[in-house]
Amino acid sequence: MDPECSQLLPALCAVLADPRQPMADDTCLEKLLDWFKTITEAGSSLLLLQENPCLVELLCHVLKPQDLSSRVLSFSLRLTGVFAAQEDCFQYLQQGELLPRLFGEAGPLGGAAWTAPTVRSGWIQGLRSLAQHPSALHFLADCGAVDTIFSLQGDSSLFVASAAGQLLVHILSLSMRGPAEGPPGLQADDWPACAQKIVGHIEESLRSTAAPQITQALNVLTTTFGHCHDPWTQVLWVQLHPLVAALLEKDPVPAAHSLVDLLLSVARSPGLSSSSCGLWETLAQTLSHLSPTQAGLLALGILKLQDCPQALRAQAFAVLLQPLACVLKATAQGPGPSGLLDSTSADSVTADILLPSKAACVGLLCRTLAHLELLLPLPQRPCPWPQAPLLGAAVTLLQLCGGSGSPASDEGRQLCTLLLGCVRVQRAALDFLGTLSQETGPPELVTQVFAVLLEYLRSPDSSPTVLKKAFQATFRWLLSSPRTPGCSDLDSHALLFLRELLPVLQKRLCSPCWEVRDSGLEFLTQMTRRWGGQAGFRHALLASEVPRLTEQLLRDPESYVRASAVTAMGQLSSQGLCVPPASPEHPGGQQSLLGELLHILSTDSEGFPRRAVMQVFTQWLRDSHADVVGDTEQFVAGVLQVAGQDLDWEVRAQGLELALVFLEQTLGPPRSHCPYAVTPPVAAPASPLTQALQPLCRVRLFEFAFRALFDCDRPVAQKSCDLLLLLRAKMASSSSLQEPRSSPDVASVEAALQRWRAGDQAQPLGDLEPEVVLAVLRSMDLEGLRGALAESSDHVEKSPQSLLQDMLATVGILGENEADCY
Amino acid sequence: MPEIRVTPLGAGQDVGRSCILVSIAGKNVMLDCGMHMGFNDDRRFPDFSYITRSGRLTDFLDCVIISHFHLDHCGALPYFSEMVGYDGPIYMTHPTQAICPILLEDYRKIAVDKKGEANFFTSQMIKDCMKKVVAVHLHQTVQVDDELEIKAYYAGHVLGAAMFQIKVGSESVVYTGDYNMTPDRHLGAAWIDRCRPNLLITESTYATTIRDSKRCRERDFLKKVHEAVERGGKVLIPVFALGRAQELCILLETFWERMNLKAPIYFSTGLTEKANHYYKLFITWTNQKIRKTFVQRNMFEFKHIKAFDRAFADNPGPMVVFATPGMLHAGQSLQIFRKWAGNEKNMGTVGHKILSGQRKLEMEGRQVLEVKMQVEYMSFSAHADAKGIMQLVGQVEPEGVLLVHGEAKKMEFLKQKIEQELRVSCYMPANGETVTLPTSPSIPVGISLGLLKREMAQGLLPDAKKPRLLHGTLIMKDSNFRLVSSEQALKELGLAEHQLRFTCRVHLHDPRKEQETALRVYSHLKRWAPRSFWLGLGRSGARGGSHCASRQRPQGPLRAAPSRWVRDCGVHPHPGCCPLRGPRHQGAAGVLDLPG
Repeated sequence: MDPECSQLLPALCAVLADPRQPMADDTCLEKLLDWFKTITEAGSSLLLLQENPCLVELLCHVLKPQDLSSRVLSFSLRLTGVFAAQEDCFQYLQQGELLPRLFGEAGPLGGAAWTAPTVRSGWIQGLRSLAQHPSALHFLADCGAVDTIFSLQGDSSLFVASAAGQLLVHILSLSMRGPAEGPPGLQADDWPACAQKIVGHIEESLRSTAAPQITQALNVLTTTFGHCHDPWTQVLWVQLHPLVAALLEKDPVPAAHSLVDLLLSVARSPGLSSSSCGLWETLAQTLSHLSPTQAGLLALGILKLQDCPQALRAQAFAVLLQPLACVLKATAQGPGPSGLLDSTSADSVTADILLPSKAACVGLLCRTLAHLELLLPLPQRPCPWPQAPLLGAAVTLLQLCGGSGSPASDEGRQLCTLLLGCVRVQRAALDFLGTLSQETGPPELVTQVFAVLLEYLRSPDSSPTVLKKAFQATFRWLLSSPRTPGCSDLDSHALLFLRELLPVLQKRLCSPCWEVRDSGLEFLTQMTRRWGGQAGFRHALLASEVPRLTEQLLRDPESYVRASAVTAMGQLSSQGLCVPPASPEHPGGQQSLLGELLHILSTDSEGFPRRAVMQVFTQWLRDSHADVVGDTEQFVAGVLQVAGQDLDWEVRAQGLELALVFLEQTLGPPRSHCPYAVTPPVAAPASPLTQALQPLCRVRLFEFAFRALFDCDRPVAQKSCDLLLLLRAKMASSSSLQEPRSSPDVASVEAALQRWRAGDQAQPLGDLEPEVVLAVLRSMDLEGLRGALAESSDHVEKSPQSLLQDMLATVGILGENEADCY
Repeated sequence: MPEIRVTPLGAGQDVGRSCILVSIAGKNVMLDCGMHMGFNDDRRFPDFSYITRSGRLTDFLDCVIISHFHLDHCGALPYFSEMVGYDGPIYMTHPTQAICPILLEDYRKIAVDKKGEANFFTSQMIKDCMKKVVAVHLHQTVQVDDELEIKAYYAGHVLGAAMFQIKVGSESVVYTGDYNMTPDRHLGAAWIDRCRPNLLITESTYATTIRDSKRCRERDFLKKVHEAVERGGKVLIPVFALGRAQELCILLETFWERMNLKAPIYFSTGLTEKANHYYKLFITWTNQKIRKTFVQRNMFEFKHIKAFDRAFADNPGPMVVFATPGMLHAGQSLQIFRKWAGNEKNMGTVGHKILSGQRKLEMEGRQVLEVKMQVEYMSFSAHADAKGIMQLVGQVEPEGVLLVHGEAKKMEFLKQKIEQELRVSCYMPANGETVTLPTSPSIPVGISLGLLKREMAQGLLPDAKKPRLLHGTLIMKDSNFRLVSSEQALKELGLAEHQLRFTCRVHLHDPRKEQETALRVYSHLKRWAPRSFWLGLGRSGARGGSHCASRQRPQGPLRAAPSRWVRDCGVHPHPGCCPLRGPRHQGAAGVLDLPG
């Protein structure tokens, strides 16, 4: 602890101990605790307490009967735990009887303060911190803490109850770690008393008829098997397995979710050999006992396991597929297997859950689709993967929700009534359908996929979120459509689809919902980036109204849409796709786009479109876009001038990105660190560096960069600093390096920069000569500046000294300044 | 037992970040999704892992409702929807939807780019999150699904702030968000129907405060600004771009006009236009006076308040500047503060450190800034005070009140006041604590005409004052209940009547004659057998389109046929019960209380 903080600490402890002094806000005590944790992790807690006796005085003081704030009491308990985590400090606090007074019956535990959840939470967290060594275990046993923790598992506060469960696991694990002479034996009878007590409590809870107690026990076991993988966990499982299995005999199965969590946690535990413990049998039994709504998560968990008996995997997969199999069965146009599960195994229980209630039906279907979506990309997914029937199921669901399904059976019609217009299922099914595009399917089904997607994109009933997902799924299916391996072009079917799609997109770009217009533009940008060079796509796009509408959206009232339109137009232009029809109103379309984007950059009131313009310009410069190549210097100079004036620092930062691209193109890229990297051929500066710097000076890049170096927004200054350091590195490597020289020009520039640094940036630097720039760069302490900038802008405010000062400064003034949320 | 459960994950006995989980009639709703700006790590967001232990959030939560655009109510939303993975609907009013992304974007820039924090949401995430928003109008009943509906009411706290009524069937909860019961210069007072919800969840920021008159506060503010300007000083008013700043602008504008003052007033460039844009767009959300005079003169088009340019800060002479951000931690307000802090003529209303009395501040680069300027703190926040909260409770007439967004001690005071004065149960759960309120929802049941006629035929005329029993078979189909006669139920469902007869053989050793013994047994059973033995409620249910209803005899006690029972010497507790077809058949009693 630095001396300044040490000096402030006694006063702060006095404030904390004074019940008349309320704390400014609840964050400062948290931050104070964070600071003490940092100190004790780096050094001796005992020394800290000895050097700062005010801390022990504070801990003693909070024990006195007084109207102390529960927050301060909770803080003190947690702080004590942090100190007592080191055994010597624990002994020190024990000598003063401080620990039993704080954590024992005589402490807050028995008082009125205990009614505050924050005190109970502090008590648990304090014990969690101090329980790090064998002495702590004895202490916990002596002060009867374990029994209190048992009862806190059922606390009215979720936070306290959860922390109590975790503390039990921690204590069990600590006691099983054993003393220095070695861990306890593997026989449960040999286990330490503390561990036996906890296990006994768990057994008792599992035998209980009260669901909350069973849940608590299962949760403690789940955490135990999730965190501890020592051999004793196997003994524990063998001992408790019959009790867990007995839960399955109850109807309904109590605490089903927690039971699933536990079984999966055990199955994942590397410390357990699953086959010997009857785990697979229990998992199979659980799968068949739980209702489809409860079993889905277990089935997914089983299928994610790396090694698991094939029969169990098949059973789990069947559970997962059942709801969709039911849907297919109910909507089948004729008799015969649906292909997903044979009809005999399509469990009628699932149908019973699907059909009577809309809420249950929607819930089960959404969960099933989400589970299958998670399973599909995994290497351990079931093989063979029933791609075709799953595609069929997803399409059927979308048709039912969209109202285009026409099932023949009564059950199908009932399903149709339940799902019609259901946005939740639509969202889940579209996500799933998109994921299914990773695999191909039979052509007739793929046709159906595109048809249903088109139906959704066309439908006036589709909500903006559904439309967005429909666009995303469509793009994924278009991506997966090429038949020729290695060829990224759209096939003829996809192109036919595209011709139908573009009028729909056109309509969506005119939607009154900004969300829809924006999603449409994002979709267009994605498509253009991918297939902009392909003749079929170009032809279809140019034949549509889409480019013209996109251009119009540059003037959309919604800034998000304007930004997306800028990005889309930038992309279209890069691919030569936004040439407007030759008309007197649009002489020279490309030129007008550059002008329009520059206009947006200089006039748009919102940051998003301006940022998007800068990104487009940077990309154009990088790609040597036709407009830029014409007069690059003029382009760069114009953009930098506008960007430098921008109020949005992200636009200014993007300006530096553009400057960097120009600098690299002028001077050559920085030397690559990778020996295998392919470096594109660039015009290496054959001439001396000063000559090479001429274009940079002409576009006033240095004035822009120097101004940015003293920008009040840190990221801009950082980026500028990096750019100038790169330039200086080039100077150092250049053979034309000249001796530093001082001249009146250099002095005046340096003086101007000093003023800029002080905040007065009114005076411009004027035309700079390369020699002057080089000299100024040499004289600047850029490394030092970079170091200063690396610290976050609130580093001073975040310092412990500042925190202590803040807490002290609020004393006595809180009453005047009422809590004011804006 | 039906119940309403409320668990604050934030705003439970604190004013940090509002996030309240409500479970009502099987629907789960999250009210607000706020951020705590005092933390720079995970603690800034509520711990969403407590929402549900298993399964996806999207499956568990039916919707999220955001009351207004302040970050302590919506700041965690992009994190929740784009990083934690909630994919369901988010409801807020139109102005909140428009303004929310601006504040989120401002905060993102500060957190990520200036403080260099990782694991924070991006601009794209903010946009994607806002695309999930369903904007609602005031007093518009929005069906979230077939059962859950929500309705927004005017809250007056900031532009677009709303209270929400959440309703499932006959159960309802009202969440106030932050609200203000007194109109100010640009917003109206909160208003809500006398909707008598089961529970009113109300903010309690000023639970113990009866605030001084607004007029006094305004006079004090104007006096101080005027004095500073008169002595040639500069006044810095750090504000947030949208919200209370507009109230102060109108106040100063009117004062300047009245006093004919010449000192310039500036507002951060860009923001005036932005604010104006939103206030014009949502003019219906402002107060009556502004709406009425809007056609002649838009109150947000200020004559004296001009856009600020950073060069103006160096101009000599007095001036007033509204600059963002409000906490003086970055940006324009901090730059101006640095320039002006050294002059004792100047005045500022500023952030945490200066407010807490520090006069020497260490700035970036180890520079020490001495604060000589006069520093004033003035609260113009628009929360209801204790009187306002009591007024709202009285207006809404809830069965219970739950306090959030306030300090524990102050809540305790208000809780007692509400319980004593209004005779309403009041709760104040801490974060993580669950309050459970039992409810008794009334379930409407349709009664067939035939059944009613039959009852009438027995001479029992309806009497509004007397509840009475009506016997029949309850059929549940598509969440609708109907009570019909057993015969009609069988007919409707196309079921054949089955009779189950349960027999058991009992050997009696009795020296009397057979007939005499039988009569004795009958008398004995008639006397001692429990009523339910005779009434034995059947189990009936409905499944899909094919319904299975119990065939239940309309019984008074002992209306079963004893002769047959005696003759068979068997037990026949439930004549006419249909065969049960498995555990899916739900039980339904054929008796219900029918108000006359």
